Amino acid sequence: MDKIEISLTINETPYQMRVLPNDTLLEVLRNQLDLTGSKEGCDEGVCGSCTVHMDGKPVRACLTLALEARGRKIKTVEGLATGDALSDLQQSFIDHGAVQCGFCTPGMLMAGEALLSTTPGPDEQTIRRALSGNICRCTGYAKIVTAVAHAGNPQAPCPDCRTQTPYLQAKE
Amino acid sequence: MSEYAIIGKRMPRVDSRAKVMGKTKFTADLNLPNMLVGKIKRSPHAHARIIHNDTTKAKAPPGVMSVVTGKDTAGVKWGVFAYTRDQQFIQTDKARYIGDEVAGVAAIDEETALKALDLIEVEYEILPPVFDPMEAMTMETELIHTEFPNNINIHVNIDTGQVDENFAKAHYIREDTFVAPEESYFQAEPYAVVARFDSEDCLEIWCPNGGPHMKSKPLSNAFKIPLHRVKVRKIAIGGAFGGRSEICPADYICALLAKKTGRPVKIKFTREENTIATRQGHAMITTHRTGVDQEGRVLARETTCYMDGGAYSSTGPIATSVPFLSMEQAYRMGSVRYNGYRIYTNKPIRGMIRVHGRGFAAGLDTQLDMIAAHLNIDPVEMRLKNSRQQGEYTSTKSFVASCAMDETIHKAVAKSGFSEKFGNLPPFHGIGMGTNSVQTGFPMGIRGGSQAFIKFNEDGEATVMSGVVDNGQGNDNMVVQIAAEELGLLPEDIHLVSADTETTASDPGSYSQVSTFVGGQAVKIAAQNCRAKLFDVAAKVLKVEPSTLAAKNRLIFVKDTPEICIPIKKVVRISLLNFTSVNAEGGYWPRVDMKREWVSNPYGQMCEAFSFGTTIVEVKVNPATGQVTVLNATAAQDVGYALNPLVLEGQFEGSIAMGGQGGMLTEYHEWKEGRCLNPTMLDYKLPLACDMPPIHSIMVESIDPKGPYGAKEAAMSIAMSAAQAYAAAVSNAIGVYMDSFPLTPDKILAAIKAKENKEPE
Repeated sequence: MDKIEISLTINETPYQMRVLPNDTLLEVLRNQLDLTGSKEGCDEGVCGSCTVHMDGKPVRACLTLALEARGRKIKTVEGLATGDALSDLQQSFIDHGAVQCGFCTPGMLMAGEALLSTTPGPDEQTIRRALSGNICRCTGYAKIVTAVAHAGNPQAPCPDCRTQTPYLQAKE
Repeated sequence: MSEYAIIGKRMPRVDSRAKVMGKTKFTADLNLPNMLVGKIKRSPHAHARIIHNDTTKAKAPPGVMSVVTGKDTAGVKWGVFAYTRDQQFIQTDKARYIGDEVAGVAAIDEETALKALDLIEVEYEILPPVFDPMEAMTMETELIHTEFPNNINIHVNIDTGQVDENFAKAHYIREDTFVAPEESYFQAEPYAVVARFDSEDCLEIWCPNGGPHMKSKPLSNAFKIPLHRVKVRKIAIGGAFGGRSEICPADYICALLAKKTGRPVKIKFTREENTIATRQGHAMITTHRTGVDQEGRVLARETTCYMDGGAYSSTGPIATSVPFLSMEQAYRMGSVRYNGYRIYTNKPIRGMIRVHGRGFAAGLDTQLDMIAAHLNIDPVEMRLKNSRQQGEYTSTKSFVASCAMDETIHKAVAKSGFSEKFGNLPPFHGIGMGTNSVQTGFPMGIRGGSQAFIKFNEDGEATVMSGVVDNGQGNDNMVVQIAAEELGLLPEDIHLVSADTETTASDPGSYSQVSTFVGGQAVKIAAQNCRAKLFDVAAKVLKVEPSTLAAKNRLIFVKDTPEICIPIKKVVRISLLNFTSVNAEGGYWPRVDMKREWVSNPYGQMCEAFSFGTTIVEVKVNPATGQVTVLNATAAQDVGYALNPLVLEGQFEGSIAMGGQGGMLTEYHEWKEGRCLNPTMLDYKLPLACDMPPIHSIMVESIDPKGPYGAKEAAMSIAMSAAQAYAAAVSNAIGVYMDSFPLTPDKILAAIKAKENKEPE
C-alpha cells in the first residue's frame, strides 16, 4: 500500500503528513504525532477512551480513518486547555474527584465537552445518556456525572464546586 | 477530628491535573528511541504437548530482530509461593490453556511482528482437555500438572473443632449450594510492558503493577541479576482490581527480547489478550451448611468450596482462603469447618479480583435470609445477632482491634428505610442487604513492611520517596496528604517519588488493601521524624522546648502562642548552615503472625485491622423481561478514619458498580471448549453511566488504634457487600432465593416461572 499525503488540523495546528489508507486517526495521533492523550482501550469503538472531536462532534478515533479527517478540524484532550488555563470541565473533573486511574478521562472529557457545547445545563439523565458510550471501571460514574453538571455552573450545596469552598488555604 | 489541616479534607487529587490535560503517560504511551514492537505467540489448543517449536522461517523476514521460545528461558518457573511454582514464562513441554505463551517476537513494526508470529511452526500433540473442575478431580484425563494429583492445586482446611457437636445442638440447620462463573477485571488500560537494558546492563521496565517490588524479585531471579539491577519504573496505571499483582509472562518475554536485541521493546496487549492472558476471577461452587439456635445465632457452619483455578497456581493459596476469611471476619460463628479446593482446568489462569468470592458471599447472606425467614426474624436482627464485635478473635484467631460493623448496619438501615420497606413493598419490588469484611494485608514475610524517605530542599519544599504504588485509587494523593499534614506544608510543596525499585525501599504493594495502613503509616513516621529534626533547630532559634511546637501552613510555631513562629524554609536553611541533616526515614511493619501460612497453618494474626461494610439496595424487576432496575444503593463502611472523603466516596461508588451492578447483574464469561466467547468490551457487559443508581455513601469511623489517623482501607467491604445486597434485593423482589449468580434476566424469568408453576393461583 502506498502512503498518501494529507493535511490535518489538530488542536488548531496544521500538519502535513503521509499516512496509509488503513491508518486510523488514533494511530496517527498516537504514533506519528505523539499525542498520546487519546487512549486505545478496546480498538473496536466500545470503550470511548479514544474520543476526539471532528468539526466539534465526538468521534471514535479508533474507528475513524486518518483519511476521513482530511481537511477537518480535530480536537484532542491536549487541546482542551488554553495554555495553563483549564477548561471549566477539566477543572470540574479535578474538583469533583471525577478522575481515578485517568485512562478513560480523556474520552469522558471529550464526550462531556461535546454535550455541553450543544446542550447547556443538561439534566442528569441527559448527561448519563451522553456518557454511556464511555466505559469507566473505577468511579461508578457518579462523580463524572456531577462534574459535567457543575462545570462552569457551580451549585451552592455542592461541597466540591471550587467557587464555594476552596479546599485548602490559598498560597500567600 | 478537626485538628488536622489537610487530613480528613475533601482534597482533589494531586495527579488529576496531568490526567485531565492528557499529559499522564501510561505504559503504551511510551515511545523510546529505537524501540521495537514485541508480540506473543499463544497456544490455540487448550491442552497439548509441544513436540517441536521451529522458529527458522520466522527469523528470516527483514525487520524481524529476535524470536524466542521456551528454549531461551532456561526453564525458569514462576509461582507466588515456593510450593506453587508451576508456570514457565514460555512453555517448553506443553500448553495448558488457549492463550498459553509459546514464543515471542521483536520486530521493527507491528505488521512485521505479526507476520513473524505466523511463521513460527509449533507442532502439537493434542491432549484431552478438561474444563469442568468437578470432572478434573476424577482424573480421567492426563493430569494438567503431573505433580498435583486429581488436579487439585490447593486444598485449604480450617477447622475450629466442636463443629459436629454444635450441629447436634442446633435448633435449625440448612444446607444450600451456590454457583457463580468466572468474571474479569476489564481494567480500562489493556496490559502493556516496555523493557530495555541500559548502558550498565540494568533491566529497566515499565508496566501496570500492583507492587513494583513484587515485579523486581521474580525478574531478578529469572535473569539471575541482583535486585539493584532491576529498575521497575513508575508509570501511570489504568486500574488493577487485584489483576496486576503478579509478574506477567509478557514482562519476562519483553525483557528477554530487549536483552537479545539490545533495543527497547514494547508489548501491548489487545483487549482480548488482557482478558485471556492476564488473570480472571475464579468460578466457584460453594455449599454452606449452617446450624443456628432458636434466636438465629450461628452455632456451627461447614463450608465447602470448589474453585476453578484455570491452568496455573497464580495466587492460589490466597484465593482459596480469602472468601472464607471475609465471612469469618464479618460474622461470629460458634464453630466452623472450611474446605476450599482450587482445581486446575484447561482454562485461563485465575487470580484475586475485587469481588473475589461473589457467589460464596452472596450465598452465605442468602442463606442467612432464608434462616431468618424460617425463624421469623428480621434480616437486620439476624445480622446484628451474628455480626463481628470489637475486641473479639475471628475463628482463625485474628484479634479485631477496631470494629463498627453494627454501626454500618444501623446507619445503612436508617438511611435506606430498610425496616419500613422490607416486606411492605409491592410485587417485583425488593430490598436487600449484605455485610462483609476485608483484611488490610496478609503476612508477607520480609515484604510485609514499607519504608519511606523524606528529603528537604533548601527552598523549604520536600521530596517524599515511598514504594507505595497508585493503581488509580489515589494512593499518590494519600501519601502526599499525609506528608503535608505531618511536615506542616501544603500538598503542592511535596514532590512524590514512588513505585520505583531503584529509588524506593520495599513495600508490600497495593493489592491487599494495605497501602494506607502500612505504606501511609511509614510515610507518617518518616515525616514525623523529619519534623522532629526541624523542631530541634526551630526550638533553639525560638528559645522554646521542641515539645511546645507545631507545624502548619509552612510555619513552625509555638502551639499556645502561634504568633511566635518561623518559616519552615528558614529552619531548613539554618539547619544546613549548622551542619544538621534535615532528611529522615520511617518504616512500618504490621505485627502479624509470621507463622501463619495459607495452607500449612491458617491460624494466627492475619493483619492488624479489618474493614467492615454494609450495603443495602432497592430494586424493581420487570416480570415480563427479567430486567432489574436498581432504584438506589446505600453503602456504609467502617473505614477507620476517612483521610479524604472525596476520594473515599469515589471508591464507594466504584465498588457498587463493580461489586453489585456488574458483579451481580451482568458480568460473567461464556465458554466453548475452553475458548472464552466474550473476551471483549463489546460482548462482556460492563456497567455504563446510564445503568447506575444513585449511591449514598456513609463513612463510619472506628479510629483503628494502629492505622494512620485511625484509617483502615477504603471500600473493599463495599465491593463485596454490594454483591450480597444486590442478590438479596432481587431475591426479595421476586420471592425466590436465587442460588446461581450473576442474576441475569434469563435466570430471573426462569425463577419467576418456576415459582408460578409451583404455586398456581
